[in-house]
Parts: sequence; structure tokens; C-alpha cells
Amino acid sequence: MAASWLSWHVLCVCMPMRITTNTTASWGVPAALVFFSGLAHSQAPTAPSLVAQESLSGADTAWMLTSTALVLLMTLPGLALFYAGMVRRKSVLNTMASVVAIAALVSLLWFAVGYSLAFTPNNPWIGNGSRMGFEGFDYLKQAGKVMVSHVAPNVPESVFAMFQLTFAVITAALVVGAIVERMRFSAMLFFIGLWTLVVYAPIAHWVWEPGGWLAQMGALDFAGGAVVHINAGAAGLACAWFVGPRRGYGRQAFEPYSLALTMAGAGLLWVGWFGFNAGSAIAADGRAGLAMLVTHVAAAAGAMSWMLAEWLMRGRPSLLGLCSGIVAGLVAITPAAGFVTPASALLIGALAGMACYWGATGLKRLLGADDSLDVFGVHGIGGIVGALLTGLLASKPISGVQGDVLVQAMGAGAVLAYSLVMTAGLLLFTQWLIGLRVDEQSESTGLDIAQHRERLGG
Amino acid sequence: MLDSERLAIAAHMHVLLRRKTGRVTDTEWMAGNLEYAAEVVRFAREKAREDGHAELAEWADKLEQAVGAPRAAGSKGPSHGPEALAPRYVGGIR
Repeated sequence: MAASWLSWHVLCVCMPMRITTNTTASWGVPAALVFFSGLAHSQAPTAPSLVAQESLSGADTAWMLTSTALVLLMTLPGLALFYAGMVRRKSVLNTMASVVAIAALVSLLWFAVGYSLAFTPNNPWIGNGSRMGFEGFDYLKQAGKVMVSHVAPNVPESVFAMFQLTFAVITAALVVGAIVERMRFSAMLFFIGLWTLVVYAPIAHWVWEPGGWLAQMGALDFAGGAVVHINAGAAGLACAWFVGPRRGYGRQAFEPYSLALTMAGAGLLWVGWFGFNAGSAIAADGRAGLAMLVTHVAAAAGAMSWMLAEWLMRGRPSLLGLCSGIVAGLVAITPAAGFVTPASALLIGALAGMACYWGATGLKRLLGADDSLDVFGVHGIGGIVGALLTGLLASKPISGVQGDVLVQAMGAGAVLAYSLVMTAGLLLFTQWLIGLRVDEQSESTGLDIAQHRERLGG
Repeated sequence: MLDSERLAIAAHMHVLLRRKTGRVTDTEWMAGNLEYAAEVVRFAREKAREDGHAELAEWADKLEQAVGAPRAAGSKGPSHGPEALAPRYVGGIR
């Protein structure tokens, strides 16, 4: 590892969080080889280590704490509202319960196993066990020392791990959107638990840990276009195919319970995404500021673009279309947020809005699966569009590296393929062990009553 | 719309058609099957035009809205593009 500093710029680029322009505190991240080149080999940590509290950046730590809260808000209650508003009335509470339960489950699994697998050095495919069992994250008051990750040495490792947790949580929660209204709650929890460790953690390691093979290859993914969105989209598609369509799908109108809830959720997602993207700078600096700006521009462009497409195709713009376009733009800018100009963000958002509109309509019909809330259509397609456009539009003055569309395509393809195959395998295992779907009567009654014995009032 | 509300509209249409035209229909199938509902809507509108039963046309509109049945070719209504005729929330919510 230490011997290949030459390739650090590539490695750095791969790590979303690693991108920073702070030369003293950030040397873990590629942040622009420009800054990196002045540092001696021996100063570059390759594993978590104890450092003096004074060496940390208070501003960066404060921003990362804030970003962590923002990203968690994206799930609780952002995604919960976004999804629950779109399902039929009889399964609203089940959808919300799924998101809440996943947040809790993944949180525990993350500190038990997942973080160690994802963010410790070992080999290009998976991390080691040094952070398993809630170990690490030392804070030694008397000695004045704090544990930091080699990936983000300017902030406490506890903060970095928490920030990463919120990404793991939302990725798992996104997958659920594909199989709402028909999957057994117990099976969903079991499957998601396994998925987080077997699918999410390895992919995060590949892209975001310096020794990960996609990081080594030079794939650019600032904040998780592949790790979060292509991954969740592919998994959602696999789930939709495997679990099968809802009864009446394609024949009956499945009216959303409340698009007002969906809009409230979309608002939380938009604002929370500032933590998602700008937080991935792992610093309160110019790069974070630029990432926030381009995130906002892409969201707005995505909303307008989807709205325009829908207006032309269907004669009227819809609230759901606006909300979906926002998310499409945000998804697509995610891999690019630390690398592109505002003008490029406008283009990325606009193209993503149209591409994801097609993904949620025409492509959905082609694929033939009941991907209920269009996880693949929006997150999968948006992530792929964003990954490719990052290769095309990454600005060398901003990022320090040149994008490569082919490398981006290979990275996106690898994540897509792994997620599809492994998700299918885990579903097969879950089905064999405990079964996946509720019975017909339960599905007809609704999962609120069938799975939770609860119902919406009124 | 609740399933029960949809079924209620189908049941009302069933009674109307039985009384006004003698036609017997399957209420539950009407509430759950898009093609069948679309055909019932078409038939009801045709009978409304031929025999002057305004109530049939009114309830045909309600049934169409309830199940998201597509308008038959030639029927009046706004046309806004290729996907405008696709029934809302059938086969996807977006």
C-alpha cells in the first residue's frame, strides 16, 4: 500500500470521503493528488490509529456530526414518509415499520460486523475483523488521544463510522421499496440483515477503502452513486423479480395513500442530501461547499426535467413526478458531487430526470417486474447515468483527476452484477429457510393488519 | 380509493344495467378486472346514448375513474399524448 503512492490519486478519487483539499488533515483521501504529492510516505496511515486530540479538525468534526444527522433524517423520517405515501392505505404502517426496523437492525449489525468488513484494510475484496463486536472508536481523555480512521484522519473514527452507518441504513431501506405490500416482515428483516453484511459492506470496501479493488482501478464515486444507488437499485430489481408481483398488479389501480406524505419525505431527502454529498467531503471546506451547490442544482434540474417529460407525455405535471424528479437528480449527482462544475450538475440533473422517468415507466414495462416504488427505475438508472456522466464531466481543476467513462462503466457494471447475483442468492436462502411472501388473504387484507395488527385511524 | 368503494360502484352499475338493459354482470370481476370493467363502461355508454339513460353514462364515468379503465376508441375526452390514455396507477404509480 505504502509503496504505491503514485496511484494514490486514483485511490483517493475513489473514496468519496477522501476527497478534501486540506493538506494537513486529509491525506488519506485522494483529494487531489496536487496536495498529496508533497507528503512523505511515512506520514500516510494505512490503518486506524490513535492520534492526539489536537490533530483533529474541530470544524470538520462539527460538520461531519451535522452531516450524520442530516443523512439519518433522510431515512427517519424522510424515506419512511416518501415510501409510505406511495403505497396503498392498507400497508402504510407496514412500510414505515420496515424502514424503522431496518434502521435499528442495520445500526446494530454495522457496529457488530459491517463497519469492520467495509472500512478496515485487509485485501481488495473485504476488510478485517479489528472493528467487529463494537470494538474500536477509542476516546482516551487522560492521554488526550482519539482513534481515527486512515480514511478520514481529520475527524474521530466514531464520527466517521457513524456517518458511514447512515449510508448503510439508507441503502438497505431503499431496497424495501421494491417489495412493499407483499413480503413477510420477518423475512424482510432476515434478508436485509444478511444483505447488509454480504452485499453492502463488501461493495463499500471495494469503492471506499483505499485498498478496495474498484478504488485501485480509479472509479470515481464521491458519495455513493454505485455503493448506494446502483447497489440498491439492482437489489430492488432482483427482489421484485424473485418475490413476484402483487396480486392485481397490471390490472387494478394501486392508488397511493397520500402524495402529501411523499412530498414531505422528498423535502427531507432534498435537504438531507446536503449531508449525504457535502458531508462526503469529510471536511468543512470549499469542496463541501461546491458539493452542496451542485447537489442543489441537480435536484432542481431533475425536478424540472421529469416534470417536462411527464407534461409532454401525459398532458399534466404531477406532484409525484416533481418529487421523483428531485430524487432522480439527487441520485445522479451523488457520484459526481465533488468533481463537477455547477453547469455540469445542471446537465446531470436534467438528463437524470428524463432517464429516470423512462426508467419508472417504459423500462419498467420492458423489465416486467413489479418494482413497486421504482427502486431500479430511479436509483438504479439514476446511479448508472450519474456514474457515466461523472466519467465524462469530472473536472480536473476541481478533483485533480480526469474522469474515464470506461472505468466508470466497469465499476457500475461490477456493482450491478454483484448486487443482482448476491441478492438473488440471499432471497433464495431466505425463501428456503422461512419463506418470503405473506399468504393471499394477508396480502388482500393489507400488511398493517396482517403483520402488525395495526391500522391507520380515521 | 378503497377496495370497498370500488366494489360499491361496481355493484351500483350492476344493478343499473340489470334494471335498464337486462344485462347481467359480475360485480366482483368488474371491480377487479380492468378489461372487463372497460367493456362494461363501453356498453353502459352505448346504452346511455341509444336509450337515453343518462344515469348509465354518469355511473360509467364513475366506474371508469374507480378502476382506472381506459377510454374506448372514439369516446370523448381530452387527449394529451401517447401515455395520456394509460390508466392511472395501473402497472405503476409514476
